[in-house]
Amino acid sequence: MFDFFKKSQNLLGMNARNLDYIRPYNRKKGMRIADNKLLCKRILQKNNLGVSSLIAKIKTHEELEQFDFTKLPDSFALKPNRGFGGGGIIVVYARKKNHSDAWIKANGSLITTDDIKSHIRNILDGSFSLSNIPDIAFFEERLKLLKLFKPYAFKGIPDIRVIIFNNVPVMAMLRLPTRASDGKANLQQGAIGVGIDLATGTTTSAILGKGHVIEYIPGTKLVLSGIKIPYWNEILRMSVESQRISGLGFLGTDISIDREKGPVILELNARPGLSIQLANLAGLKSRLKRVSGLKIKTTERGIRVGKNLFGGEIEEEIEELSGKRVIGSIEKVKLIGKDGKEIEVEAKIDTGADSTSIDIELAKQLGFSEVLAYFKALALPVITSREEGQTLHASLLDQYSKSHPDLADITIIYASNGISIRPKIKLLFIMDATEISAKVSVTDRSSLQYPLIIGRKNLGKFLIDTSKK
Amino acid sequence: MFHHPLVTFFVAQGIPEQTVLLLLMLPLVATLVAFFRQVIGIKAFGIYTPSIITFALLAFDPNGIKYGSAMFISIILVGMVTRFLLRNLRLLYLPRVAITLSIVSLSVLFLLFIGAITHRTGLASVSIFPLLIMITLAEKFVATQIEKGSKTAFILATETLVISIVGYFLVSWSWLTDFILAYPWAILFTFVINVWLGKWSGLRFTEYFRFQKITHSL
Repeated sequence: MFDFFKKSQNLLGMNARNLDYIRPYNRKKGMRIADNKLLCKRILQKNNLGVSSLIAKIKTHEELEQFDFTKLPDSFALKPNRGFGGGGIIVVYARKKNHSDAWIKANGSLITTDDIKSHIRNILDGSFSLSNIPDIAFFEERLKLLKLFKPYAFKGIPDIRVIIFNNVPVMAMLRLPTRASDGKANLQQGAIGVGIDLATGTTTSAILGKGHVIEYIPGTKLVLSGIKIPYWNEILRMSVESQRISGLGFLGTDISIDREKGPVILELNARPGLSIQLANLAGLKSRLKRVSGLKIKTTERGIRVGKNLFGGEIEEEIEELSGKRVIGSIEKVKLIGKDGKEIEVEAKIDTGADSTSIDIELAKQLGFSEVLAYFKALALPVITSREEGQTLHASLLDQYSKSHPDLADITIIYASNGISIRPKIKLLFIMDATEISAKVSVTDRSSLQYPLIIGRKNLGKFLIDTSKK
Repeated sequence: MFHHPLVTFFVAQGIPEQTVLLLLMLPLVATLVAFFRQVIGIKAFGIYTPSIITFALLAFDPNGIKYGSAMFISIILVGMVTRFLLRNLRLLYLPRVAITLSIVSLSVLFLLFIGAITHRTGLASVSIFPLLIMITLAEKFVATQIEKGSKTAFILATETLVISIVGYFLVSWSWLTDFILAYPWAILFTFVINVWLGKWSGLRFTEYFRFQKITHSL
């Protein structure tokens, strides 16, 4: 019990957030920027930080009446200037074919110009602004989803929240929209929050909604840990810069990654929520205390301090000492197909297997169907014993090894359920940012959990930590 | 019963004793609401609504809890149903609230009528002001529904009712009322409590639960 209370001292609660951090460090000027999206966009842009570009704004009911909706692009986001918590935002993806006054929303439903107008009236009347003060509506370009995030995000764009204090990034989380959150990256509405290791930008633990700890995306086999966030250093740099620009001492910067533009700042948050602690399984208060009082003069130094203090240091040290990468027993692997097609799968790291093995269907997807069909058509002998196999192997190799350009080798597998002859193909794959070229045996793994196992022959560059997820 | 000379003086000048008492109790109720928010973590609809509902419950006496809660719950239910009915009309905010308020007040009238024909005179004859206070609750509820969603609005309404009921018991605790009438200066002590609450930066009681899952990995 005493231990419980002692550990709780590391956590940042609502009272401490308001009293010890927001009140003293977030002055009125900064709050004004954070609560006004248009102003914020303008200021960030002036300082050369990426934002999504403004299409048009509507300030009054008269402007709304005169606004030419036919001039809008095919896809856009409509937002209230002083909205909060993602409320009042409408995102449309395309114009409805053969209709000049209807668009298609994220969830596939239609929205007409009249619907949009009535929504804008609500925005102007302040239905979505803090304390219902009259507001401005604006259109901005729609961000395009990054390929990497496609399997993880349900009808929306994930964003990355970075908490900055004293010019040091102290904690970060990736927010993934779900069906429950209706495509919004908002934890209160049921989005997924994934903790991020500050040093490497790799995801760690995850929560669903307000605090249910999860490992997979619900209903799928997609593991949430181990996702490498692209542009990580750039994201940290933008976050720290946005603190300098806004003057908000305790700041949550929300950044999204556009497929073409790269990272863009969505908004600055002067009252960042506390759930980020749950997503990271770590307390904010202890981190804030470690950073306060430090003299951080440059952005680079701030990033370095954040990475050193709050990154996965031990693992990096081992990697530095041994020159080997530390991986877990399940790893994400990016397979490069024959025609350059990339497929990402989860692979089991199997130190009990000699060589790497791939599922036949997956190999076909990677462009090897021709060689597999060729191999299947070969009249191969049936092998009944180990001795027979050893003598036959040499003759098989002689006969077929160079018979097809994609057939890299032939192997005989002696397993408890019988002996089989399998083809091997030459395959390039990337695991933990390391490129490996391997001869991979092909077999039917459809009844097994993982379509790919990585065997000893290809694990020379790695150390395996079975407790790592 | 001993009254402080000051209270006796006020009463002698023609201020009703009940009014003096209630005005002296208001700081206590407000402090209670502040305590619930900062230390326990129960939010409710701000500080005004739970305080005023506390006094509205009191006005329903002698069956304050029973009739007051029934009225409260009915108003919330009618508010929810009305929102559901009006959703597809896409009305602007104020006209929508106006319709909600109208339906709520008609429902209250209907409730009083039910009270009258079932001979619950305590319900039928309650004065208009607590009723009006209760009806304004509907606006607070609708505003929260729009801003934060029905679920949050419902939770906040429940929390408001809980705090108001606790407040009701506090204000109708005869030992406390006697004490305040005897030592009215004691209410100044609430300033001390509120300064302490205003500087309290510890975790709220509900936050221990919220973060319970991760305390072992800290």
